[in-house]
Amino acid sequence: MRFYKKLTLKDKKTRQACSDIRKEISKDINDNIDRLKNDFAYDNDLVIHYFNLVNVGGLACANIYIKSLVDRNTINGLSAELKKLKCECINRQYDMNIDALMEYFSGISEAKEGLDYETLCIDLLSGNTVFLIDGCEKYLSVDASSNEGRSVDESSAQTVIRGPKDGFTEKINSNILLIRKRIKSKDLKVEYLNVGSITKTKVGLMYIQRIAKDEIVQELRTRLNKIEIDGVLESGYIEELIKDDRYSIFPTFLSSEKPDSVSAALLEGKVAILVDGTPYVLTAPALMIEFLQSSEDYYHHFIISSMMRLLRLLSFFLTLLVPGTYIAVTLFHQEIIPTPLLISLAAQREGVPFPVLLEALIMEITFEILREAGIRMPRAIGSAVSIVGALVLGQAAVDAGIISAFMVIVVSITAISSFAIPNYEMSNTIRLIRFVLMLLGGMFGLYGVLMGLIVLVLHLCKLKSVTVPYLTPVAPKVKGTITDTLFRFPLWKMKLRPIGISGTDEPRTGDNNTVSSGQKEKQELR
Amino acid sequence: MKLNRLLLIILVCQILLLSGCWSSHEVNTLGITVCIGIDKTENGYLVSMQILNPATIASDKSARESPIVIYSVEVSNMAEVTGKIMLQLSRKINNAHLRLVVFGEDVAKEGIENILDYLARNHEFRTDYYFAVAKNSTAKEILGILTPIETVPGVDMYNSIKISEEEWASLKSMRIIELINSIMADGKNPVLTGIEIEKNNKIDSNTTAVLERTDGYSLLKLSDSGAFNKDKLIGWLDENESKGYNYITGNVKRTLEDAQIDEAKITSTIMKAKSDTKVHLSENEPSIEVKIKIEQNIASIEGKFEISSKEQKRLLDEMFAVEIKSLCEKALNKAQKELKTDIFGFGETIHRKYPKMWKKMKDNWDDIFPNLPVNITVEVDTKQLGGIGKPLFMKEEE
Repeated sequence: MRFYKKLTLKDKKTRQACSDIRKEISKDINDNIDRLKNDFAYDNDLVIHYFNLVNVGGLACANIYIKSLVDRNTINGLSAELKKLKCECINRQYDMNIDALMEYFSGISEAKEGLDYETLCIDLLSGNTVFLIDGCEKYLSVDASSNEGRSVDESSAQTVIRGPKDGFTEKINSNILLIRKRIKSKDLKVEYLNVGSITKTKVGLMYIQRIAKDEIVQELRTRLNKIEIDGVLESGYIEELIKDDRYSIFPTFLSSEKPDSVSAALLEGKVAILVDGTPYVLTAPALMIEFLQSSEDYYHHFIISSMMRLLRLLSFFLTLLVPGTYIAVTLFHQEIIPTPLLISLAAQREGVPFPVLLEALIMEITFEILREAGIRMPRAIGSAVSIVGALVLGQAAVDAGIISAFMVIVVSITAISSFAIPNYEMSNTIRLIRFVLMLLGGMFGLYGVLMGLIVLVLHLCKLKSVTVPYLTPVAPKVKGTITDTLFRFPLWKMKLRPIGISGTDEPRTGDNNTVSSGQKEKQELR
Repeated sequence: MKLNRLLLIILVCQILLLSGCWSSHEVNTLGITVCIGIDKTENGYLVSMQILNPATIASDKSARESPIVIYSVEVSNMAEVTGKIMLQLSRKINNAHLRLVVFGEDVAKEGIENILDYLARNHEFRTDYYFAVAKNSTAKEILGILTPIETVPGVDMYNSIKISEEEWASLKSMRIIELINSIMADGKNPVLTGIEIEKNNKIDSNTTAVLERTDGYSLLKLSDSGAFNKDKLIGWLDENESKGYNYITGNVKRTLEDAQIDEAKITSTIMKAKSDTKVHLSENEPSIEVKIKIEQNIASIEGKFEISSKEQKRLLDEMFAVEIKSLCEKALNKAQKELKTDIFGFGETIHRKYPKMWKKMKDNWDDIFPNLPVNITVEVDTKQLGGIGKPLFMKEEE
């Protein structure tokens, strides 16, 4: 592993302080065990279990594992099997020992052999049990990791009405299983890497060969290999470290908790990054428009889905623009408000002690606090917070004349429409930009709002997600892929995969999908 | 380099702040003008402004407080108003939502050119407000009348002008661009609607007491139309003459007409009215031909009249044509013989067709117009008879 070697070189200084800098494991079993004992000193979790292979002339053997990581039953079974070994399997030619053992264990559990001391440690720490045999320069590592952890559950962040309900869990293996179950293709590839100099987190790079673009896969592979960090606890670490524009607040990796949407992305030629320990899987390249799409779009009738998409786009702009525009219009452009509306607005504003900008900021920030509190607090207090939010902030503030009723409506529409954006990160981003537009609107009126929007569009045009422009099907116009942006075209019309993303141009659907007119007539005759 | 970039960003941000909040005004610091009334005084104008009192319009307040307040200020020219009125008012005047400008009769007779210049020049005014002339009272008195249903009188009058023009066609709504154009154009003069106070002495209509009554208070009423010569008011067209004027100029959208045929009185809804004005030359003397085409539906028949046959329908059409023609002729006579002002824009029609001849006539058009031969033809077509054919109770009477 190239990445691994690099790390070891880097850590050479610290390594030299230790007594042993040999890379390979020693022939002498006691050497190895001493070394392990030294490295794992004070770690009571390490279990070293000596035994002699009686049947093979008392050959010294050791079974080493970390107590809390392994399944005790598996270990016991393995040891028992090992003791029963017959002479035929192992003779005194040491190098052959492991191979023979391998053969023996291959039927029992995932077994592999290794030469390297460091990989031995990593194997130990990932829940494998390691067998060392005296006089042998190899070790045998057998998967005995315990299967503790959350079972596959309904996704909590991305809920759907129609569509599969299962969500990813914290275990990378079960996540890969969920995807593999859906895509039964030998072209589906998973590459594993360990990221994090201390945590050694398992990261999987998943793609469908042929369909994914080789350059993009290669780009992601190099970016992942370049990561130097002590630990990776969530896919957010990876996203932040390999993002194209590190300072942009727009997410350029789509994180998803749902295996069906990740599978759909893989089928489009995207690459998935799975990280052990988190149910959020990243897919890249991610386009702006994807953050407004939901996996459910493809499960409903296309006209209904298109309507939903337009609705989401509308709510995107409502979130972004309503407060800023309201402030700009009431402060600077009273003439563009229809007279009856202005009269009722003026009536409501009468007696409100704050300037409109401050009033808006107070309400919007209060809403943000409520939202944040709603996420962090224990579930049991939820109803209390919503009562305080609705009554105190909504009604009482208006009744007391501190806030105008119209402002409450503005804040509410912003809040509700921000939740209609299916992706939580995108919704956060938009809500943040809304504050900038509010300030601009309060300072310069609609002129300021417009300037803000222009800067925003320029930024979006500049953004790239793994070398693919962020606004792809729209801003660099890509022919044939417009079928799946604002509108969802019927499946039989979506012939091509996104060209900038996918490496192939073979059609996704055949021509014979629909019931032809001839068939229809036949059916009618019957 | 990095420091420089940071510095640049900070500087740019400061440029943003330099302008401050120039020209921003909170809604609750504005005095929103809905109506302006202009009367004549010895040294200039008495300008009255109907200013909204927003606190009273909030829904949960009772109608005890007046929704508007009238502020008046005497000025020598219009431009002084927004400044000078501040002596009485604590809020900045906002004229963007002006709905109506009422000229006092004196001002209108003297000429409104100078006032229009101010209204057209000032960017604050939107251009969608209407003009009216106060008849038999000052503009200030008109502004003070409270209207019960639509609590803001300016808005009430604005809607009233708009709807009356569409549904009854006895008046002509004028916005500033059209008004200025028709004053400036040769051979065309404007007509403004008049507003009158329908007096009812039981109760003063400038207190909120009217808002508690269903009847018996003074009302604002759109009445006769004021005919202008250039920017000066010359005289008034009554309701029928105004209708005739609208028929000739093709400004009727929908209205009701009635005709007496034998014993029966028939009322019809005019659904469509088109007019076409043409100029004919006979021995170098121009004459005007106005063709009016009307489509109507029967609204009611009082008395005995059988309309199912073709002859009867033709009779009906002819009777209505005569009625409408007489309306038009009334308007024409008034304009030609009495007021001597070309409100129909006949001069403009001649100008378009025969520009060279118009150049000679232009200067003494006011003398030529009263003797201009005008021939009006009206064609009526009855389209729908309504849900029932014969009058409902005709058979039983037979």
